[in-house]
Amino acid sequence: MLIELKNIQKRYGGVAALRDGNLAVNAGEVHLLLGENGAGKSTLMKIVAGLVERDGGQMLWNGAEVHLKTPAEAAKIGVAMVHQESLLAPQLTVAENIFLGREESHPLGWVKRRRAVEAAARLIEQHHFPLRAEWKVEKLSPAGKQLVEICRAIQHGSSLLIFDEPTSSLSGAETEEVFRIVRTLRARRMGVIYITHRLEELRAIGDRVTILRDGQTVHRGDLAELTTNQIISHMVGRQVSSTYHRDPFPPGEPMLELEGLTVKGKIDNVSLTLRAGEIVGMAGLIGAGRTELCRAIFGVDRPDKGSIKVAGKLVRVDSPRAAVKAGIALVTEDRQITGLALPLPIAVNMTMANTEGISRFGILDLKKQATVAADYITRLRIKAQSGSQPAGRLSGGNQQKVVIAKWLFTQPRVFLFDEPTRGIDVGAKAEVFDFMHELAKSGAAILMVSSEMQELLQVADRIIVMRQGKISGELPGRTTQQEIMRLATLESGLESIS
Amino acid sequence: MKSLQKLLPFLTLILLFVALVIASPHFLTATNLSSVVRQTAVINIMALGMTIVIISGGIDLSVGSILGLSGIAGTMAMAHGASIAAGIAIGILTGLVCGMLNGIMITKLRIAPFIVTLGTLGIYRGIALIISNGLPVNKLPQGFSFLGEGNILGIPFVLWLLVLCALAVHFLLEHTRLGRYAFAIGSSTAAAVYAGIPVSFYTTAVYAIGGLLTGLAGMIEASRLMTGQPTAGFGYELQAIAAVVIGGGSLRGGEGSVVGTLVGAFIMGLLSNGSDLLGISNYVQQVVIGAVIILAVAVDELRKRRLV
Repeated sequence: MLIELKNIQKRYGGVAALRDGNLAVNAGEVHLLLGENGAGKSTLMKIVAGLVERDGGQMLWNGAEVHLKTPAEAAKIGVAMVHQESLLAPQLTVAENIFLGREESHPLGWVKRRRAVEAAARLIEQHHFPLRAEWKVEKLSPAGKQLVEICRAIQHGSSLLIFDEPTSSLSGAETEEVFRIVRTLRARRMGVIYITHRLEELRAIGDRVTILRDGQTVHRGDLAELTTNQIISHMVGRQVSSTYHRDPFPPGEPMLELEGLTVKGKIDNVSLTLRAGEIVGMAGLIGAGRTELCRAIFGVDRPDKGSIKVAGKLVRVDSPRAAVKAGIALVTEDRQITGLALPLPIAVNMTMANTEGISRFGILDLKKQATVAADYITRLRIKAQSGSQPAGRLSGGNQQKVVIAKWLFTQPRVFLFDEPTRGIDVGAKAEVFDFMHELAKSGAAILMVSSEMQELLQVADRIIVMRQGKISGELPGRTTQQEIMRLATLESGLESIS
Repeated sequence: MKSLQKLLPFLTLILLFVALVIASPHFLTATNLSSVVRQTAVINIMALGMTIVIISGGIDLSVGSILGLSGIAGTMAMAHGASIAAGIAIGILTGLVCGMLNGIMITKLRIAPFIVTLGTLGIYRGIALIISNGLPVNKLPQGFSFLGEGNILGIPFVLWLLVLCALAVHFLLEHTRLGRYAFAIGSSTAAAVYAGIPVSFYTTAVYAIGGLLTGLAGMIEASRLMTGQPTAGFGYELQAIAAVVIGGGSLRGGEGSVVGTLVGAFIMGLLSNGSDLLGISNYVQQVVIGAVIILAVAVDELRKRRLV
């Protein structure tokens, strides 16, 4: 056994990221680590790579217990991680990046350049990588950069390599290339831990599987013994569908119509219609293009192709300003950055998107501002002393309510919610759902992006699933998590299940 | 804690005042105080413009050069036969255009304000020197001196002007959409963009207003000297920025007030006047002003870190 993790626990503040993480990897195997967003995969790998320390549990390396405090310590015993996002210095060469931070230097301090280039060239040739040591990293394709990351990881004779979603940004041919490399590493008796969200990749690369759910290891075994359906069941848990479901209204007129909306490299030919009174859920994995779709509708990113109609009228949304004017509101996923000006008072934040509503000829009516703010504070049950309190002092849920108030004041016809319940407590969550329900009742069309499938099943009248920038399917509101996962993870939907 | 920090500039001003009363018998005299007011008015009015710019998260390093160029433009117009009013208007307009150009470059070319205004610090000064051939502009109409040296009801005219500007800027910041947007952009540009605020337009407007006030300050400076000096205003950006940050403005944007800036500018004015009275050299003053900027920002950062 190369590495063995037993009953690993890790808390971040009050949140348990890992409650019972178990994993065992042999030399010469590709071990798949699977789980939903937030299941604890990344935290477990960070513990292995020395990026965070565990709170409890055991970690055995070749049978002996180890405590890794830094990535350098992990590298020393032979653990290396290939990161999802490239952490390379783009202006430096391939060789310089491979040896970054570990340059051999002359006693007087200068770097032995030629030695590094030679060593890098040897490494590249050994693995038949399509790279040259003297190339600048910024000129490389995403796959090329991945290769440099891999070189960095293996140049110190690592015996365990962790890949965190290596293929998420790669094309088909490049993915094949990464697979080929992983197989070579396996043949050299290295251990490989491989995290992926693409279920159709599994069989091409994996030997054994560990599945995490809610911070716990729920299944371990040989890949060959599992059907894809079983894997999905393990990932989402057995509790299927939900009990509560809102009664949908009969949908009204189309409020938002997208036709072939395309932003190169982000979203691909997306068409959909939202009707008045509807709450449409949008599911998909991280990186599937859901946030990007919201940004395109809201005019943050300009679409390369396609059209947007609001309430039947074609609109040109080339800026958030144009979107707001057209009657679109976006509750962003990062409210502390794009949603609120944290140091400014609640009342200022609430009226920020519609200062026209509290001013005349450019002069503000501060009394009216106070009235508006007091009104929303009562209506949305915001826990604040007064409207003049800085928004940054509120709790997450109350901050989110201020964002919602800001958009209510613009009286939008289309409401986009991107991960509206992120970082807010259960009580506030329920309230946010109530507001959405109220909004729909008053004739708005609502699109709710969420990675919490349970939430979508509770709130949405129908669920659209995105995958790699495209809509991969649509499901009725009373569907199951399995169905959603299937559309979110599989190339061709229902047919390709074993 | 926060209220103490807000009071700190006031306390410093009072302390400085008392110290100077004790240290020099020449300080508390009508002539000296009116001279302090006149000296400080130029920096004060510039600093009011800088306040809006800094609240919006920007900075304008070119104000010293704008002051010089405005003064030259206005006085040259008068020397070529324009009326006093027209000359002053031309000076103010020059400032407005300079500020607007800064804003347009910052928003359209998407270059950091620090870089753009560092560039125009050179450009505007260069233009002032070119059009004046590097020579002072003399032969100005007699009445022009009233702007900088005149009195109304025994009170310096510049003090009336300063009060007027301060009230106007205060109203702009607290009671208009422009002011509201300046705070919003300075607090969080991303949130401002996502709220549909036309950020480019208002950023440009903010720099234009800063330029306008600097243009006015340039004409006051020219009137006090009764010449247009192409080198006027050299290094004034330091004092203007210092006045804002001493008065509680944050170089990270989103914070600042007219009252704070006025207090900051008067602290600078007293430091300078006190040094003169006590025979401390101008060179030492430079060192003190620079140190005070760093100190004021350090206090602000320290407070923020404790709050976060």
